[in-house]
Amino acid sequence: MNIRCAKPEDLMHMQHCNLLCLPENYQMKYYLYHGLSWPQLSYVAEDDTGQVVGYVLAKMEEESEEDPHGHITSLAVRRSHRRLGLAQKLMDQTARAMVECFNAKYVSLHVRKSNRAALNLYTNTLKFTISEIEPKYYADGEDAFAMKRDLCSFALQNDVSPADSGTFFDNKKNEEKDK
Amino acid sequence: MDPKKQQLPPKENALFKRILKCYEQKQYKNGLKFAKQILSNYPDHGETLAMKGLILNCLGRKEEAYNFVRQGLRNNLKSHVCWHVFGLLQRSDKKYDEAIKCYRNALKWDKDNLQILRDLSLLQIQMRDLEGYKETRYKLFELRPTQRASWIGYAMSFHLLQDYDKALKILEEFRKTIQKTSYDYEYSELLLYQNLVIRESKNLQEALRHLNTYESNICDKVTLQELRGELLMNLGRKEDASEVYRGLIKRNPENRNYYLKLEEALGLTTAEERIKLYEELKEKFPRAQVPKRLPLNYARGEVLISLLDPYLRAALQKGVPPLFTDILSLYDDPERIKIIENLMYGYLKNLKETGHLCETDNEYKEPASILYVLMFLAQHHSYLGDTEKALSLIEQAIEHTPTLIELYIVKGKILKHAGDYVGAYEALQEAQALDTADRYVNSKAASYLLKANLVRQAEEMCSKFTREGVSAMENLNEMQCMWFQTECAQAYHRLGQYGDALRKCHEVDRHFTEIIEDQFDFHTYCMRKMTLRSYVELLRLEDVLRSNRFYWDAAQTAITIYLRLYDQPLTANTGENNINTANLDPAELKKLRSKQRKAAKKAEQNKAEEKKKEEKKAEHQKSKSGGNTDDVDNHPTEDLDPSKLERTEEPLAEAIHFLKPLQSLAPQRIQTHLMAFEIYIRKGKPLLMLQALKRALALEPNNPELHTCLIRFLQYRQEKLPGHHSVVVDVINREVNRLLPTTDPTQLNEDFLNNNQDSVPHRLQAARAMKLLDSVQRDRALSIATALDPHLTEQTHQNLHKVLEWLESREVGGTPEQLTRYKAQSHALFPRARAFMPPESSSSSSSSSSSTTTTTTTTAADSISTTNLTVTSVTTTTTAATATANHNHVDAPSS
Repeated sequence: MNIRCAKPEDLMHMQHCNLLCLPENYQMKYYLYHGLSWPQLSYVAEDDTGQVVGYVLAKMEEESEEDPHGHITSLAVRRSHRRLGLAQKLMDQTARAMVECFNAKYVSLHVRKSNRAALNLYTNTLKFTISEIEPKYYADGEDAFAMKRDLCSFALQNDVSPADSGTFFDNKKNEEKDK
Repeated sequence: MDPKKQQLPPKENALFKRILKCYEQKQYKNGLKFAKQILSNYPDHGETLAMKGLILNCLGRKEEAYNFVRQGLRNNLKSHVCWHVFGLLQRSDKKYDEAIKCYRNALKWDKDNLQILRDLSLLQIQMRDLEGYKETRYKLFELRPTQRASWIGYAMSFHLLQDYDKALKILEEFRKTIQKTSYDYEYSELLLYQNLVIRESKNLQEALRHLNTYESNICDKVTLQELRGELLMNLGRKEDASEVYRGLIKRNPENRNYYLKLEEALGLTTAEERIKLYEELKEKFPRAQVPKRLPLNYARGEVLISLLDPYLRAALQKGVPPLFTDILSLYDDPERIKIIENLMYGYLKNLKETGHLCETDNEYKEPASILYVLMFLAQHHSYLGDTEKALSLIEQAIEHTPTLIELYIVKGKILKHAGDYVGAYEALQEAQALDTADRYVNSKAASYLLKANLVRQAEEMCSKFTREGVSAMENLNEMQCMWFQTECAQAYHRLGQYGDALRKCHEVDRHFTEIIEDQFDFHTYCMRKMTLRSYVELLRLEDVLRSNRFYWDAAQTAITIYLRLYDQPLTANTGENNINTANLDPAELKKLRSKQRKAAKKAEQNKAEEKKKEEKKAEHQKSKSGGNTDDVDNHPTEDLDPSKLERTEEPLAEAIHFLKPLQSLAPQRIQTHLMAFEIYIRKGKPLLMLQALKRALALEPNNPELHTCLIRFLQYRQEKLPGHHSVVVDVINREVNRLLPTTDPTQLNEDFLNNNQDSVPHRLQAARAMKLLDSVQRDRALSIATALDPHLTEQTHQNLHKVLEWLESREVGGTPEQLTRYKAQSHALFPRARAFMPPESSSSSSSSSSSTTTTTTTTAADSISTTNLTVTSVTTTTTAATATANHNHVDAPSS
């Protein structure tokens, strides 16, 4: 197994993995848009033969007034490669890149209310918390949990230097002192 | 036309400017209103007519659009606006070459028009007219030296032409104008792009110096360190490099490449040295998998046992389903296979006796471990070809825990491997029923259904995850789901539904065309975002896009079918397609026919429904956008009609269309050249045949299928070459003598047979050649091809199936007795392979299949279409309105 930052030539293989695993699919252009806007943020997991068996497709939310923050557009690991901890490892690399390259203070995502396995991963392993419920978020009418993961504490715990520490730790000064 | 008439008075001129504004702001209705006002007084005003046409084009009224634009242009051939508009129209139809001509005409009348120059530069880079691009970027640079896009575009035009010195000079001048002390992502990306150009100019020393100088400005630390490591390695500073790689491993301990580079930097050569390194790294990164897995590749004998034992036990304890695929790469060595097998059987014994994986460890009991041991051993034996043992192991596991989905997937895979495509999909359907919310299992089940040629059921399976309201096929096409489309094409091909198969192949081909179109908007976008490295990677990727496996699959299927259609064209009124029915019994055949009729009927109904929905959708869209659809680019492509596709007048030209990309992008695959040969022998082009054969010979001289091509070429040479020009004849004769040990095809074939006596595929091709050369030899050929013996190599069910297909083909036309006998012999060797089953057993099993399909659906797909990355091109008059690139990325719901 191998985890590395995604390059443009990986994007088609990510699309393939997405179509195999998830009901939410996107045309190639949307993958290109991610890869060419934030080349550092998306990661792939590949097996010994170089086949993409998992990926995280990520972006920055740039239009909002809030603090700079990242967003996970899509995360999938082939069922044939579960229980290797790939999802967590992919997400941690992406989180790190969000802090280092874009000063992201948190990362958000949406998850189906019924997806217990994913919910468990986000809540227990990756320390996401539910920020709100978005009713009928999915096309089939299912609600979504909007979730957030604080990246300031992630950065402190993992010794990650943010792109701009001046603004990054702005409202986190107290926590820094505690350390 | 009187030029004075083309000058509008001030009032109308103001109106005209408002039209331009309306167009830019997509207020098409208002735009048309103003145009009408002008045209009521000045019906011949060319620029107004052109603008009216352009707006109509945006509203999807293409035909009228062309009429107005052409009329406008005729009335004012000296207007840059008219020419520009005509270019934009052509551009929206993807006629890029035509559009370039129009822009060039426009520039004749307004040589410094920025907008036209920008539009021209986009087309030039899209078409990879790099020299033209450079000229246009120079012009833009001259006209707007203060804009940063001018600098970057100009520099990049030199970079792409590999004029690194000029590119670097411009980049450095530009860099100097930026004064940065604090964090700036775009500056960081610019520096990394500059570094890329320095590296490509082969000045590694300078590249390293550049990295060191700007280290603090580069926020992409991963790339920074990866580049530094690579540069240090290439500059021979291995010790420094090793430090860099240690740092990278700390950052991402699951990156295999970092470890391999570290080995190299440390100059480790022996297995012991390497294993020792991993002992250290394992301790440092206890949670990482890679440092545990990599040393297994190096170890042998006792050392391997000592490493493998804890590795396997940890995985079995934890219950890691992919364990077998994880260590599959160790199976290239019989000794290692034995070690793995022994360890696994040891665990099985211990678990059965004590409940523990090993005798010494009795603190922790994991009841599921036995499951994973059984599952592993089942995969192990299936891989080694012992289907029955594999099945009995997996059945034991299923008995132990009937709810573990992975077990059914493994069972399906074992059966598929053994050629039992029916049993395989039945197993996958069981798996799918256990978790209907998991699309991966659903996809695998659909894929297995396709392997069994059950297209309709496969589509039904997929429909549980495609958008409601459209057919699954349509949605999968919209989402560019190429695995399904290529496998579906292959299934249709096997069923003899050539038109349907070709349709799928063309759909895949169109995805690639579309993805190449996709880059258009990024030409401007990336320059603004400053993600130039990725942009250059994109350009290089798009240049080789069709090297993708899915294109290969689609092209291969399409070419094979077109060759078949050339050899045996379908007549205009062939109601049913010619299915290879030779190996079906009457009952099965009847079932198949009725199935096809039903499918055809259903397809007809679906089509009608879809059409209705389509119309509804269009209407809905119209009302939503107030009569405006701003999708200039999204015009419907001509429909792919299966019955037209399979009755093409020019099957070979179609085949060449699919072949061309393979010749440039997959020249390393021998099949590419064999397909080229097949096409050109039918076209009677001996030089191109020769070229294909030479390329194939260089790749794999002893390839069995190549052999038959060579024989046929020699035969062609004897029979038809004399009809060609003497120069051609000379070249062929000279080359044939040079390439082949003998030019006597019979002799060549006998030698080939003697040299490859023991290989099933070689024997088949030798037999084919023998029969082709002399049909009197038919019986001898048959006995060579159908010989079965344990000492023969590559005696797989797939290869035997190829022999069977040959027996059934028109080429040889085996008697029913010969077919039955060969099938029976093959069946004895591969009792589970469907292809050799006696009729009664194969049909009984397949009929039970449909009942297992589950109908509960929990999920439907989101109706997410891709983001709008459309860049609106804007025409301007002398009042140079600035181009507004519109990239509102509609965020799609996800995860």
